[in-house]
Formats: sequence, structure tokens, C-alpha cells
Amino acid sequence: MIAYLVRRLWQMALTLFLILTVTFLLVQAQPGDYASFYALNPDLPPDVREQIKATFGLDRPLWQQYLIHMRNALTGDFGVSFGHFPRPVLDVLAERLPRTIVLFVSATAASFYIGFLLGKAIAWRRGGILEYAATISGATLFTMFTPAFALMMIWIFAFRLGWFPVGKFLDPLVWRDTEVAANTVFSLMLITAAVFTTFALWIAFTIGRTQRAGVRRLAAPVVLAGALVVPIVWAMSGIGFLALDILRHMVLPIATLTLISFAGTMLLTRNSMLETIREDYVTAARAKGLPDKQVRDRHAARNALLPVVTSLVYSLIFAIDGSVIVESIFSWPGTGMTLLEAVRSEDLPLVMGAIVFIGLMSLLAHLIVDMLYAFLDPRIRYR
Amino acid sequence: MKAIRLLSIHALVLLIILALSAGCVVREVVVTPTPGPTDTQSPATTATSTSPAATAETPDTGDPLEEHIYQLGITSDLTTTNYWAYLGPDGTVWNQYALTGTKPTLYSYSDQRFDWVPSLAADFPSPLQEETVGDETLWSTEVELKQGVKWSDGNDVTADDFVFTAQTAKELQLTGNWPSIVDPEFYDHSEALDPHTLKIYFSKKPGLARWQFGMAFMPIFPKAYWEPVVAEAKQAIGVTEQQKVLYAHVPDGEPSAGGFVFDRWEQGAFAEKDRNGDFYFTGSVVTQYAGGAYAEAKPGAYEFSAYGEPGGETTLEYTVGPYAASVIYSVYGSQDAAVLALRKGDIDYMLNPLGLSQGLQDQLRGEEGLTTIENANSGVRYLGFNTRKAPMDNKAFRQAVATLIDKEFLTQTVLQGVAIPVYTMVPEGNQAWHNADVPMIGRGMTRGERVDRAVALLKEAGFTWEVEPRMSEDGNFMEQRGKGLMMPNGEPVPSISLLAPSAGYDPLRSTFAIWIERWLNELGIPLRADLTGFNLIVDKVFTQQDFDMWILGWGLSIFPDYLESFFHSRYSELEGRNAGGYSNPEYDRLADELLATTDPEEARQQVFQMQEFLADDLPYVVLFTTPVVETYRSDRLVFPYTTTLGGLQAAAGMPAIVNFK
Repeated sequence: MIAYLVRRLWQMALTLFLILTVTFLLVQAQPGDYASFYALNPDLPPDVREQIKATFGLDRPLWQQYLIHMRNALTGDFGVSFGHFPRPVLDVLAERLPRTIVLFVSATAASFYIGFLLGKAIAWRRGGILEYAATISGATLFTMFTPAFALMMIWIFAFRLGWFPVGKFLDPLVWRDTEVAANTVFSLMLITAAVFTTFALWIAFTIGRTQRAGVRRLAAPVVLAGALVVPIVWAMSGIGFLALDILRHMVLPIATLTLISFAGTMLLTRNSMLETIREDYVTAARAKGLPDKQVRDRHAARNALLPVVTSLVYSLIFAIDGSVIVESIFSWPGTGMTLLEAVRSEDLPLVMGAIVFIGLMSLLAHLIVDMLYAFLDPRIRYR
Repeated sequence: MKAIRLLSIHALVLLIILALSAGCVVREVVVTPTPGPTDTQSPATTATSTSPAATAETPDTGDPLEEHIYQLGITSDLTTTNYWAYLGPDGTVWNQYALTGTKPTLYSYSDQRFDWVPSLAADFPSPLQEETVGDETLWSTEVELKQGVKWSDGNDVTADDFVFTAQTAKELQLTGNWPSIVDPEFYDHSEALDPHTLKIYFSKKPGLARWQFGMAFMPIFPKAYWEPVVAEAKQAIGVTEQQKVLYAHVPDGEPSAGGFVFDRWEQGAFAEKDRNGDFYFTGSVVTQYAGGAYAEAKPGAYEFSAYGEPGGETTLEYTVGPYAASVIYSVYGSQDAAVLALRKGDIDYMLNPLGLSQGLQDQLRGEEGLTTIENANSGVRYLGFNTRKAPMDNKAFRQAVATLIDKEFLTQTVLQGVAIPVYTMVPEGNQAWHNADVPMIGRGMTRGERVDRAVALLKEAGFTWEVEPRMSEDGNFMEQRGKGLMMPNGEPVPSISLLAPSAGYDPLRSTFAIWIERWLNELGIPLRADLTGFNLIVDKVFTQQDFDMWILGWGLSIFPDYLESFFHSRYSELEGRNAGGYSNPEYDRLADELLATTDPEEARQQVFQMQEFLADDLPYVVLFTTPVVETYRSDRLVFPYTTTLGGLQAAAGMPAIVNFK
């Protein structure tokens, strides 16, 4: 296992190096450079333009620029962003990341939860109205043109009905009198979610798996009690109204993302379930006279989970790069929009920083998924 | 048992919802009324008072207890709140919208007419004088400042602030837009003769572009706030590092001398400016007259008038605010989102340098509570020639191309009126400098007349065809396409590439390019329209100078000194602005004179002459401009005027003078 890990880490390093090199070359292949934007100012004498190039390091030969960017990437110091000069790249990414994580991880979790529940149900009761309704509506939403659907959601629920805001992640009128930065609230929301998830999982793995039925029954109420503590703590913090404002702005983008993507998980779960329900152990469980729900949830669904969990881990990790389309339409400035703007303006340090980050996370995702396989399926062994 | 468990779960969920509602209820927004403008009690200055003082009106804010928030939409976030950086490497239009209006300038443009008028200065400057300082011969001018103008921290705005700003820009060799404001080739140093008297020295005699329309517009920074930051920056080794330190400073609590003080930037979401209770100009009345006179007065403080005797028909009159307690710049991810917010009433007006696209205009048409306005644009789109290459080096060829381009047909018939044909480098909207009498090649001609004229021009210049082009007798179609066009030296006209932005970037320019290709091909000119990316065109044209013809556009300043930068032969080197390599000694002489002149009327005559020259010599065929179309919530806002070059966005939405219903 250790040998496997070492080999994988070495492969990851090589892949990251290739990603960085290709990214650098692709950005350089674009005509012009960041200083070209200043070249269009007719009042700038040539020596001043040269000075601007020197400021950004664009006067150096290409190989020197390459070495500088590689060194920056390897040392974790990505230098300063051209477009936010002289703000460090890490500072720009750190500002955008919490917003993207909060939105896209929530949407991914919602999408997988709904997709898994529906997939499980329609596989169990094939040929029913639920299967037709869920499959047709899910497939329809899954194939819809995302920008058009997102705009339609805004049009109906934000503009016509006025239930939700027209994009953005906060209401300036709510925040203008506070001293608290939005990123502080985002970070606290993430911490809260992490703490609560850890707590819920701990309960599930300890109390929920105990042999004593009386104690096991306490698991759900304990988790619910924990869930009750969360809003109370937020309410007492004095910034609960800010978190609520963010949550209000999250509803529409999360609903949109969930609606357009839950079908993928639903169909994956359904297909996986259809295979497992034909297994002998499911037949045996039924023959033992176990309740239908127990056979479905404990025996069939649990074993159908493997591809779904794999897909979930990928989705969660890739949630950090956000979505340019959704972020633009819902005015949610996260890492997706940042990367696009950086590429368009040839803000090389920011592009490299974002790519390294996304590349690292995706490589990590693959590693985690491989590890999870072994954990979820004891038949898999690595050498 | 199951029922009890379900009941308890539901009770818990209910409790959570109740706790959320009780603890996290959205706090009601309370806007505390701020005190009114402080009476500065400063003595009247010695400005030229040629008319009885205008009666200053008390700002009408409607209900005195109601404080208005002016909500503006922007479609890209700021990148800095540091004004030095904004004029340096962070020179985006979005920074400009949010940051301008917080720094005083000696002089400014008047509304609508763009007259050059004093702002912080009490009056016009003394004439430039040549004098010897040490062993150097310098040019100097003195400027008297208004007294009683204060920063929002209570300190006076003084001549020392100007000296500090100009010296910092010079010593730290600030880049970006700074060199066009404080030109190190011209600016030598400045002195504060007393707190309200400034003397500026130039190493060379500065023309209008360098002094009146350059340094006189320099934003002045509060010395007391920035002096320690600049001192720290100077500790860094090397100019680049020094600039980084200066640009990296986050100016929290920086005082303002404008109508608003920058309050907060929530990155990616909004920026907010609050009313400056100490704004000196609050209550000033600005009046413009049909006869050309400009008058400005604040009772007990100052009176100023110029450009004629105030009197007669008034074309504009307003009282300076601000009437808004705050201005909020909300960031939206796209124009579509911002337009929906405007329709919903979340914002009052959307700032956008290009105005609204046709689709968005259609969405907003007829919407209740909204008013759409259309203004002339200060920019033009043009077709440029590489005059280093044949046949583009031939004036007759360029004139023939200009003759063939039917701008009226394209703008009115093909593009359905979304663009306006232009014939000179100074568009009509820039009334003070626009020459309406330039030669307009091809204007009003029919298709047949254009072809006949183009053929005649080329023949006169010695071009020949194997098969000469011919129009049908009724002039409606090309009966015989031209073939085998030869240059005067007997060589065939080489294949010509026309670089133009693709339809995805600008459908208007790509449409022009496609039609130009068609019309020139009909005449036998082997031209191919290469529709490509903007960056590629900039790189090919300006960096490499590897091109034949190109179509791009310029956003233009009010004072047209760009006529010198774009067409003087000294700028024809690689990366120079004169990418087409246009060279004409007579034009160069005129351009040099424009740079040196200090008299606005003389400059106007020169600019007129230069426009006539260019319209005939045609290093560029100026194609068209597009109006700036904007929409604002007229059920809430009252602007003192809405007709202005570049639209309301050019005045950053007029936060200091917009009023509320």
C-alpha cells in the first residue's frame, strides 16, 4: 500500500509539472501580453511602456518567465496578480474560494442527496409513475441549456414572483452598516458545516452502529439536537442575520444547480441498484423476511453506493473550480469567474495559481477515490 | 411509538425554524440622517465677478428626514481602492466609476460643453513665463487656490498637497496613466508660495495637452495622509519596489475633498461611498448660457464667470449636492443580471462604458418607471492602412477605398441605425473640437457613382485593369467585375489582408469588414477580410506591424491631442501609436504646433486643419461611431441634464448632482 502511495505521489508530481508547463505555454500562445492593454494608451511614451513591462516581468525572455512561474508554483508563492496589482495571487484566490466552496459544495450535496434518494426509489419500484416522472423530468432538466435555465429561474422566482434576489451573494443594504466582511461569514459557515458534519458522522459511526437498539434509536434525536444548536449559536453571535442573507441568496443558484444535475446521480444510482437487487444476498435478505425498506436501504442501496460515492468525491473536489456560467448569471464571483477573467486578461500569475490549485485538488481527488475504493469494497487491494 | 418519534422529529424541526427566524431575522436597515453641508464661512475669493451672484438654491432632498441611497450597478468588480494604483497599473473603468470625485483638481471641464473652468483653482492661471532658476531656463505659471476647501478630516486643501502629489508621481516614476498627467519630459517641480498659492515649473514650454488639459486635471492627494506611506515606499530598493509599496497600501480612512468619502469595499459584492458633509461645493450654483458664458457661484464663498457675459437664455442651471447620503456600487456578473436588477428596482442606474446592447434596449423599452437616453460617443471605429506597403502607400488607392465604403448604407440599412457614420477623427459629439466641414469622400453618392469615382481615382493614379469593372446602366449591380488590377509600376496588386474583430467581439466591425471585402473585390482589389481576435489584431498591428489593413476603434479624449500621437511620424516605430507608418512633414509640423500651443483658440484652428488634412490624406478611413444608450429609474432619479458626450456613465452617474423624487 505504501509503495502504491509513493508511486501515485510521484505520478501526481509529474502530472502537475506537465499541467503547469502546458498552461504556461497556452497562455503565452495567446497574442500580446498583459502590458498590451497599456500599449493602447496613446499618451504613453515608449520608455514608460517598457517600464510597465519591467514591472510585470514581461521584459524577460520566455524561458526566464517560465522558470520564475515554475519556481513560484513549487514554492507556493505565486507572486502578485497583474490584474489586481500588487495583490498576491494567494490573497485573490483565498478571497474567492470560500464563496465557491459554500455554494457549489452545498449544491453538490443537495444534488447527490436528492439524486440518490430518487435513484434508490425508482430502481426499487420499476415501472411506476414515479420512475417515469423522475426519469423524464430529470433527463429533461439534465439536458437543458444551463444559461437559459438559470435565467429562466431568475426571471420566474426573482423577478416575477420576487421570492429571491436577482443574483449576488449578499444585499448591500443589509451589510452596509456592519463591519463584518462577507468572507468572515463564509468561513464561519464552512467551519459550522464541517463541525456539524463531523459531529453527525461521529454519531452515525458510534451510536448508530451500536448493538443496543435502545441506544441506536438515540442517534437521530442527538443529531437533530446538534442541528438545533447551530442556529442558536449563530443567533447569539450577532451575525446570524448576515449568514441568513447569504443563505437567502444561495437558494436560487442551489436550486438551479440541483435541478440540472440531480438526474446524473439518480440514473447512476438506479443502474447500480438494478445490478445489486439481482444479487443473491438481496434475495437471501428477502427470504429471511426482512422488511422491504430494510432490504432496500441496508442491503441493496448500501452496496450500490460505490460508483455514487466515487462520483460524489470527484464532484465535491471539482466544486472548487466553480462554474463560469452559473457564477456569471447569479453574480457569484468565485474561482470560476476569476480563472476566466485571468485567462482573458493574460494575468499569468493568477492563471498559474488557479491552475495549480485546481490541478492539485483534482489529483488529490483521484487519489482519495482510489483509497475509497479499497475502503468501500474490501475485495479491492492495492499493490 | 413510531408516531411519538415522528412527532418529536417534527417538533425539533419546528424549533430549528423558530430559532432561525428569531435569531437570524434580517436586520431592518436604518439610515441615520447625516448633518447638512458645513458652512465653510470662507471669504469670497478674487475670482472675476462679472455678474450679480446667482442665487444659490438649497439642495432639494424632498423629505428632510428621508436619506436617499443612490444604487448603481456595475458589471465588474473594482481591483483597488488605492487612487495611485487606479491611475497606475489598475486603470480600469470600474475603478474609475467608484473612485473618481474624491480628489480635487485645479481645473475641470464644464458640463456638456467641456469648457475649461477652475475647480480648486480660484481663477485661471497666470500666463506661462520663461524664467531662469539656478542655471536652468524654466517655464512657470502661478495658480491661486480657493480658500476654505477642506479634506473630510477637517484639514485645509493647500498648495502643499498639489506639490506633494506631483513630486511623488515624478520621483517614484509612476506608470500607467500617470505620465500623461505628470509628464516627466515637461514637469520640473512646483512650489507652494503660500498655502493657497501654487507655482508650477516646466522644463519645456508645455502646450495645452501637457498643462491645461494634462497636469491641471491631476487629482490632488492629501499630503497629511499619504506622506508616511510615500516615505515608507521610498525606503524600498528600486523604483519598481517603491511603486509596489505605494500601490499595495489599502487607504482605509483616507480623507476626501469630493462630494463623497470612500467608505467600504466588500470584494465581489459592492463598494460604498458616504456623503462628505464638508464638501466645499455643496450649494454652488452652476449656470451656462446660450451665448457661451459660464457662471458658478456659492453665496459667501466665491463667484466665477468666463467665456462671455452671463445673461440671456440659460441652457443649464443646477445646484451642486450631493443629495444622496450614500452611493452603492453593486457588482453583477453580467449585463443581463444588472438589467433585471434595474427593472426590479434593486438599482437606480447601471454604469457601463459601452451602454446597453440592442437586445437589452428591447427588453427595457416601454418599461414603467424607466427612461432610456441616447448620447453621442466620444470614440470612433476606423479602417487603417499600412502606408509602408503598396498599394496602401498610394493616396489615390486610399481615397478609392474610402469612396467605395458606403457608410450610410451599412449603418442605416444593414445595421438598422445602431451606428452613425463618421468622417473625421473628432466625432460630432465633441462639439468644441469637431470640424463639420472636412471633405466627406463618397458621402451622398449612389453605388454607381462610387464605383465610377473609385475607378477614376485609380486610373488617374496609374492603376490599370486587365478587365475594367463596370456598373450596369441603371447603376444597381456590377455588370463587369474588375480583374487583374495592376499598380502604377506595372506589378499586380498583391493579396491584401484586412484584420477585423470577429462577430463575437463586435458584430458591427465584422459587418463592415465583410462588406468592404465585397466592394473592393468587385473592383478587382484582392482583399480578404480576416476576422480574428482583438488581441491578435493589436499584436499584429501595434507590436509586430505585420499587416496590410485593419479595423479597430479608439476611445477618444475631449482635447484631441491624440491627433498628434496617432499620426505624427515620430510614433511610427514598433509599438508606436502610428502603426500605419503615416508620414507627412506638413502634418508633422501642424502636430508639433498643436503640442506647443498654449492658446485654446489657436489650438482649435490647428485641430480643424489637422482634421481636414486627415480626411483628405486618409491614413485612416473613419467609419462610424455608436451612440451610448443608457437607462435609469426616472421614477426615482432626477439628473440636471442627460444630454452629454459619452452619456451619464462618462460622468460616473453624476453622484454629486443627481437628485431624488
